[in-house]
Amino acid sequence: MVISVLIDFLLAAGMVVLALQVVSDKAVLRSIILFVVFGLVMALAWTRLHAPDLALAEAAIGAGVTGALMMMAWRRLLIINPERPADTPLGRSRLAVPVALLSAVLVATIGLTALDVESPTHTAGQVAAEEMTATGLGNPVTGVLLLFRNLDTLLEMAVLLIALLGARAISPPASPEEAAVVETGTPLVGALLAILVPLSILIATHLLLAGTHEPGGAFQAGAVLAAGGVALILSARLKPGERPGIVMQLGVTVGLIAFVAIGVGIMALGETLLVLPGTWAVYLIETAMMVSIGLTLALLFAGAPALVGRRG
Amino acid sequence: MTEVMFVLAASLVFGIGVWGLLIAEHLLRKLLALNVMSSSVFIIMLVVSGDGGTSPDPVAQALILTGIVIAVAATAFALALMISIYRATGRPSISESDDDDR
Repeated sequence: MVISVLIDFLLAAGMVVLALQVVSDKAVLRSIILFVVFGLVMALAWTRLHAPDLALAEAAIGAGVTGALMMMAWRRLLIINPERPADTPLGRSRLAVPVALLSAVLVATIGLTALDVESPTHTAGQVAAEEMTATGLGNPVTGVLLLFRNLDTLLEMAVLLIALLGARAISPPASPEEAAVVETGTPLVGALLAILVPLSILIATHLLLAGTHEPGGAFQAGAVLAAGGVALILSARLKPGERPGIVMQLGVTVGLIAFVAIGVGIMALGETLLVLPGTWAVYLIETAMMVSIGLTLALLFAGAPALVGRRG
Repeated sequence: MTEVMFVLAASLVFGIGVWGLLIAEHLLRKLLALNVMSSSVFIIMLVVSGDGGTSPDPVAQALILTGIVIAVAATAFALALMISIYRATGRPSISESDDDDR
């Protein structure tokens, strides 16, 4: 008991100290690295709060993908202008400390008040948990995401696609060499990739299949898949391409297409919109979503509308 | 006990995020601060949704999972905007003096 409180205290204190370092470190690159560490401490906090699904998502997406995107953006700034340091000193604001203190007090007040309120007896979460056995899914989070509140998830996929389209619309595509940090022909890179890439596919598939009954799901699986893609992009095995072929176009949209096709198609059978007809539909949609999420995140990382393979 | 501790820590993290957002000149720093703030909000959302038991509210968990994914999508788009701003102005920041340069 004492030990678990001590662990929670260390995690909570670690979050605060790391957050302080993330926003106050003098070097931007070190701030980004500290942010990844902060994300991993957050992942531990989620496990302590009995939310392993969120721990997986935080580690893979919050810390992993966000950190990788930030580092790549930092690299792009340096490529655009290597002469001039892209770093800027922290600014000064007389209002910063009081405003920050007030917002912390406000959030603490809201949080503590909400904790004090007697929890309502008939919440959507309780209903979802009660209905879980009827659905054939063992993981209530997957149940909520794919069955009970799947309009949210469908629109979430749309947001991901719009973010990719938006990013492509406002910035020119990356040059083929821009994203690669490892020289071609560096020893052992091939051997490392031969382990990492199949492993990322294996873990992603496991997370996807386990996600219906255990912690995991399409988003965590997609992020792990994207991590494999990031490794291939960094080592120039996959290069940013100019024109997305049919495979790329289908890849980033297949999650939405499968979701909409099944969710709307079901209406022909007299069902309500987006009522999924069974676990097979959940598996099918989650697989399609995993592919789309993985590819979208990898394309956002590469900063290009397509990825092309490199021979050799 | 644990709940109160996490709420207090998350509130502090939120305040730190606000502070970081206000003192940051570099847009990448502002994005880091925003991400730190969103993490603290997620923690509070989960902690207050629970009934103190061992299984937190599945709807809250699904909402937070959605939030994490939306946050990364928004961050990716914001980073592309930042790079465009840097390309156009040569500075990774937005300040009032930008208008005077024109």
